[in-house]
Amino acid sequence: MNRISRHPIRRIIMAAVVLVALVGVFVVRLVDIQVVRAAELTAEAEGRRSQTVTDYGARGDIVDANGTVLADSVMRYDIALSPKNAGPVDREQPDPADASKTTSVEMPLPEVAAELGAAVGLTAEEVQGIIATALAANPDDDFEYVAKLVDTATYEKVKALEIPWVVPYPHPSRVYPNGAVAGNLLGFVQADDGAPLAGLELSEDKCVAGRNGEYSYQHSLEDWVPIPGTRIVHSEARDGGTLKLTIDADLQWMVQRIAASQVQAVGADWATVTVMEAKTGRLLAVADVPTLDPNNVTATAADDRGSRSFTAPFEPGSTFKALTAASVIDAGKADATSQIVAGYQYLPPNGADITDSFFHEEVPYTLTGVMIDSSNTGMSMFGERLSNEERFAYMQAFGLGEQTEVGFPGEEPGNLHGGPAEWDNQTMYATMFGQGLTTTAVQIASVYQTIANDGVRMPVRLVDGCIGEDGKLVAPEVSGERVISENAANQTSQMLERVYLEGWLADEWEIPGYRVAAKTGTAQVADGNGGYLEGHLVSVSGFAPADDPEFVVSVSIMNPVKMNSSAASAPVFQQVMSQVLKKYRTVPSGAPAPELPATW
Amino acid sequence: MTALPAHSAPVPRRAPSPTRQRPLQPAPAPRPRRAKPRLAYAIIAVSAVAVIVVAQLLLSIAVAQGAYEIDTYQLRQAELARQEQKLVEDLDRVESPQYLAMNAEALGMVPNAAPVYLRLSDGAVLGEPTAAAGGEAASAPLVSNALITGVPLVTEQETEQTPTEGATGEVPAAPPAPAPLPSDGLPTPATH
Repeated sequence: MNRISRHPIRRIIMAAVVLVALVGVFVVRLVDIQVVRAAELTAEAEGRRSQTVTDYGARGDIVDANGTVLADSVMRYDIALSPKNAGPVDREQPDPADASKTTSVEMPLPEVAAELGAAVGLTAEEVQGIIATALAANPDDDFEYVAKLVDTATYEKVKALEIPWVVPYPHPSRVYPNGAVAGNLLGFVQADDGAPLAGLELSEDKCVAGRNGEYSYQHSLEDWVPIPGTRIVHSEARDGGTLKLTIDADLQWMVQRIAASQVQAVGADWATVTVMEAKTGRLLAVADVPTLDPNNVTATAADDRGSRSFTAPFEPGSTFKALTAASVIDAGKADATSQIVAGYQYLPPNGADITDSFFHEEVPYTLTGVMIDSSNTGMSMFGERLSNEERFAYMQAFGLGEQTEVGFPGEEPGNLHGGPAEWDNQTMYATMFGQGLTTTAVQIASVYQTIANDGVRMPVRLVDGCIGEDGKLVAPEVSGERVISENAANQTSQMLERVYLEGWLADEWEIPGYRVAAKTGTAQVADGNGGYLEGHLVSVSGFAPADDPEFVVSVSIMNPVKMNSSAASAPVFQQVMSQVLKKYRTVPSGAPAPELPATW
Repeated sequence: MTALPAHSAPVPRRAPSPTRQRPLQPAPAPRPRRAKPRLAYAIIAVSAVAVIVVAQLLLSIAVAQGAYEIDTYQLRQAELARQEQKLVEDLDRVESPQYLAMNAEALGMVPNAAPVYLRLSDGAVLGEPTAAAGGEAASAPLVSNALITGVPLVTEQETEQTPTEGATGEVPAAPPAPAPLPSDGLPTPATH
């Protein structure tokens, strides 16, 4: 007592030091918990008390012009199991002694594996193999997939088994109910994460993409019932918009069917068929063969998964003569009855050498006759009435040499052989009848649309618009652009009618009751090394009814080995055009086509 | 407004005026006050507290009960949504042109490409009637659809009425079943 009281000051100081140290420790701990590790600890606490759930925002549908669903978002499930917990399962079964009671029976692992396997389409050995392999690699493995992207029926079967170490996870996925109908246009998405990979899925992702949300809630311990008032939305889910195409699914199917049938019949490499509304530029069907079934992407070769109508430019050949004739007439340098004399060979002063595809003596052709016989020499004599620059300007006005308004992924602009400055003497003439330059099938359809629509080119459209959350269709403004005069367009149209009536395929493509304008093409195909391949690209482009054009059909078939001429494409044109006219209840033409002399 | 009580400000003190000094008087006798019912106040206050506590208890019981009810309905909703999805998928699949065409071909139909119209105003036939060419190539392999593989055609369905297996039979509360279709084709109108 005495000793302590001898130094009261020291005692107070010591107590104070201890106190300050103690408080200091507490303060440090407090700051550590409340400030330094606050976020981490809060998250851990939240994690123990509450459950965070992903709220899936559905990717929007892609529908055709009539609302038929072409691409649909569905929920699929990934079935996962915990290898380290895999073992026998207790199953309630009716008690053999007393029917009203149940008794718990332990089911051995092989039987459970067999049940699970049967549900997801595996054998018991395969399921046990997954468990064994996983455990061999890591004895503490708690997560391994058994099956991915199974449908709802399978999910319900798995859930009904009530195996505690098997957990299904939702996994949004995409199905294409109409299979290969418009498959090449739709494209596809990555199976794992739903990322768009090709086609409209890729180019119109902005419209259809959804956004997943996230929320958390606290739940009861036993049965996981959400506690009211504990739900916190971290981010809102948003469903994607609905993409409305101009395509008509039924017509698209029919066109694909006709094209695929002909590709088989003539042994072609590929074919494209484009159906366009003449007055609006809307694409009603774009068929590509080989077709892609987006439900089963790997069944189609990688090169065939796009849409060749947009991505495969080719030298159009004689179908291009309609453009040259329309340009010459529009410039006032000729009309449908203008006269020339053309032989088999034409040697213009600049040194080029033009020949026709068949031998003939000198013929007194009109421009109409040149078109009917598809004479290269005759067309050269008319084409040279325009300067290269003038013809190039017309080509550009018709939309050639640049991508169409569709903006399809990988769409090619085509190549007008650089421009007039780079055309050599031969190319200058070749470009009059569609060689030495390349266009896509859709561009050619657009050229015929311009001629059919009294010379006004409408923007090419594959998408009508995007239907957002408010249910309103957001459609871009469209306006046409005059390329040639109405008179030039109508004269060209009448000449194409004579081609349809008097050309060598007149019997092949006849559609009784309608006036039709059409032109064939049998183009040589560049081999990429400055030469030409042996096979041809055969094509037909045209429109009907010619007295009031409604529909443009353009057919291209690559290298039909069994019938290497446009006779291979004519039946496709005839069937597709008949189907289109029938489908849209087009009234048959009354008056016959006006007569135009082919020779003089 | 100030939160301070009004009387906390010091009252300015006045010097007592020497001129006016009232003479002392006896204080008036206090009026007889009515006896306040103190007990009643206590009972009201306590019972009010009790009522509030009980009400709160009942409310939270109701909310908890509601949570279970909501949970039940949400599970049911999820189940029905899955059911709906399955049915919609089945419907979309059998609605696909491939499936319709396969069925039409199985029933012996062929497409007719030639369009012909009958004008009702004068009975004129527009277009040239042509018989449909038979023996068209089967459509199935031309435009594929992985989703309809294995779905039986109408001609292959003997007794079962739904074109897909496993789609029905699990509907918990089936709507009143429509009149069964006669097994031998379309129903015929009963006119005489």
